[in-house]
Amino acid sequence: MISTKYTEKKKFNKQEIDRKWWEVGDYFRRNSLWLLMYCTGCCAIELPPSMTSAYDMERLGMGPMATPRQADILLVSGYLSLKTLRRLIYTYEQMSEPRYVVALGSCPINGGIYHDSHPVINQLDQYIPVDTYVAGCMPNPESVLNGFVDLMEGIKNKTANGWKKYHKNYDWYKKNQFDVLGEVVIDDEFHQ
Amino acid sequence: MNSISNLEAVDNIINSTGKVIKKEPISDFQVAYEVNKSDVHQILTSLKLEGWKQLSYLSAVDWPEENKFELVYILLNWDKPVYIQIRAKIDRENPSMNSIIPIFPGAKYYEREAHEFFGIAFPGNPDYKKQLIMEQWDDIPPLRKDFDPRAYSDRKYPSREYPDNFSKKDKENESLEKQAKRRKRARKLRTGGEE
Repeated sequence: MISTKYTEKKKFNKQEIDRKWWEVGDYFRRNSLWLLMYCTGCCAIELPPSMTSAYDMERLGMGPMATPRQADILLVSGYLSLKTLRRLIYTYEQMSEPRYVVALGSCPINGGIYHDSHPVINQLDQYIPVDTYVAGCMPNPESVLNGFVDLMEGIKNKTANGWKKYHKNYDWYKKNQFDVLGEVVIDDEFHQ
Repeated sequence: MNSISNLEAVDNIINSTGKVIKKEPISDFQVAYEVNKSDVHQILTSLKLEGWKQLSYLSAVDWPEENKFELVYILLNWDKPVYIQIRAKIDRENPSMNSIIPIFPGAKYYEREAHEFFGIAFPGNPDYKKQLIMEQWDDIPPLRKDFDPRAYSDRKYPSREYPDNFSKKDKENESLEKQAKRRKRARKLRTGGEE
């Protein structure tokens, strides 16, 4: 029998309400991820089979997006030279939050076959936070999709919080970026 | 008109304008001449008048043992199937070569590239010192042979440190039968049961 006695409604504080709404948001967000593909290196060749009918990324609710401001995932596919890294950081800072970074291939992890090359950086996570790595040179489409599923799990378990780390350690990331890229003083006719 | 007569025609043009140090036929359609630094402009001018009106590429080679840089001008003719390489060696200390912009204006960017990668000066080119490809390079030009890319990379980019026991061996499942079983299962999953 249901008690007719008046019980006061349980009051949630603001943090708990926020947490609930974030859970709801994360549920919908992880089932509808939009990719911004920054195809810098050879791993980009693995994306067409992952996206089209062979492995069909869209069954996971993922799709390509043309601009950084509407995308959720920044997909770094392959090695990054210094010149590309500068543009990548511009792109990352334009993306709306929450934003996630997926790095394909071994080059963003430790330099890969370009570990001794003068313009190619060795570790991407020194400059922007990376949520999921997909190792391999190149990773096959199964691994790529597996990486995305890992990212979805990470969003569910709240471990994919690279964008929060970027806010928290902003000075550290900025220092690393300045160390490697230097001040923005570009002196050629394309930038005058 | 066959290619042999074309090569002979090229011989005549070049011998009448400058002194050839060495001739090296590369194939039926390609020939290289090594000439003095001072003859390059004249030879390029006469070749341009004879129809080799496009500069395909200006390349540079570093020869540290001889203490020389070698500039390679590759010319293309749209009517005759002969590529001509004009090679000239210049000193490695304070390398400098007069620009060929008056002959081939398109050489502007090739000269900037050569300056960026080898440090060769091109007086006559108004902006050969501007950066073209690399942004804010802070070392000796990177395509010289005495530049060590690995040392530069180690110095500038932090490399990932791995613990000694990074690769974990699965003691229980490393026997050959179990490996074969795993592979068989993976194949079955991949092909849907077909062998």
